[in-house]
Amino acid sequence: MEEGSYKINNTRVTIMTREELQNEILKILSREFEIENPDLDDDLRERYEFDSIDAIELLIEIEKLLKTELTQEEKKQAMDIRTINHVCDYVEALAKTRA
Amino acid sequence: MERRVVITAGSAITPIGHSKKEIVNSLVNGISGVKRLRQDDLLTRYIHSGVFGTVDYPLEYDFKRQHRKTMGPVAYYACQVAKEVIEASGLDNEFITSGRLGVAFGSTHGSPTVQRDIYKIFFGGSSSEYSNIGAVEYLKSMVHTTAVNITKMFGITGRVISSSTACTTSSQSIGFGYESIKFGMQDAMLCGGADEYDTTTVAVFDNLLACSTAFNETPHLTPRPFDSRRDGLVVGEGAGAVLLEEYEHARKRGANILAEVIGFACNNNGGDLILPNLNGITQTLRIGLENAGISPDQIDFVSAHATGTKMGDIIEAQAIHKVYGNSPWVAGLKSYMGHTMGTCGAIETILCIYMMEERFIAPTLNLEVVDDRCAMIRHSMKLQEGNIRMAAIQNFAFGGVNTCLIIKKFE
Repeated sequence: MEEGSYKINNTRVTIMTREELQNEILKILSREFEIENPDLDDDLRERYEFDSIDAIELLIEIEKLLKTELTQEEKKQAMDIRTINHVCDYVEALAKTRA
Repeated sequence: MERRVVITAGSAITPIGHSKKEIVNSLVNGISGVKRLRQDDLLTRYIHSGVFGTVDYPLEYDFKRQHRKTMGPVAYYACQVAKEVIEASGLDNEFITSGRLGVAFGSTHGSPTVQRDIYKIFFGGSSSEYSNIGAVEYLKSMVHTTAVNITKMFGITGRVISSSTACTTSSQSIGFGYESIKFGMQDAMLCGGADEYDTTTVAVFDNLLACSTAFNETPHLTPRPFDSRRDGLVVGEGAGAVLLEEYEHARKRGANILAEVIGFACNNNGGDLILPNLNGITQTLRIGLENAGISPDQIDFVSAHATGTKMGDIIEAQAIHKVYGNSPWVAGLKSYMGHTMGTCGAIETILCIYMMEERFIAPTLNLEVVDDRCAMIRHSMKLQEGNIRMAAIQNFAFGGVNTCLIIKKFE
């Protein structure tokens, strides 16, 4: 396996850097959730009323981003996520398990 | 405990306008909201009827994303009229969230637009690796989506009633809301209904040969309730909401009281799910009067269900004649906008209030030559000044459900 990428269904997917990942998450938050210029450690629930419905919607966006389907267990782990940094940690961990 | 129930605010989105001024202008000047059916690349090519009661003016919604995210088109309509009613009522936030305000609001079948999108994914043959159905699709499409989106938007914590009985949906909302206050369960109820643009409903009635098809090139000439040339109903879209409030509660806070709800009846024909039933309807009208504690001669105006179908209008005219003789003025207000389905009861109630306030009686639009079989009642055929003190609003639905609301001018 070449560094910085992983294969799903014989498709090579490039792993982004942390900064690239943050930018992608920020784009999703802006486009889908109208969250603009958030701090990476803002509590999304308290600051932006980001609720369980939003969390499920975000997981769908993450699946699209990673081009992979998340397991039920992986989705449940996401329910404790509170900040953008947590989101990035979560996505990085997902990518690693697929590398 | 029986308490008086008054209406302290109302709002409607209709094919003939949104504001009271627009709607009254359409009623006074005989302006129809029926237009050509919009193409939808789904069913319209198969449907014989080419007309629809259309809301074709822009609506400027100002909803936060947190509220929008669970709303399909029908909930947008519902929340808009609910917002306008709450604003007009002057109720304070403490009361709104106190648990003493409830919501009775429904639609024919939630949001068919969103349901269609879900089915497209189900049956689209996609072998996508990840889920395509969003977490909120059910919340947008479910039958009680209107009621609960309203509760969410305003933090309303009282009871929720979400009738879904086709054409009696919102008259039931008002009726059940009235009973909730009358018997002390709530001090106020936000009641109404909404239905979005949807050609599947047109297709259903078209298949049953109940839709108007002869006026596709001249939509404003149909529907024609009680007219000898009527050829069926016209499906429409819209929303209507009223705030019902316990009289003393409204009086103490100095609310502007528009009218009083004094009676409600709801029954079922107990048989055929489609055909109108003279005995069932007649009984509904009688129960409504009994519930209001008034005699038939006290009713000045009957807002007939009057969809413009061949049989429905005759049966309804017979029922009105049996109960009222030819005393009250009768008009079919769907003649202006078509049949707005789950919202018709609320819209027709609001139109009656407008007529009470402005002291006029609208005619049945397109009623040129009364069908002999409908001629035994007193049709309103031209615009006239009139002091409606009490009005009966009657609605009948597939499934054999009948309702009658009795409202009284507040003086």
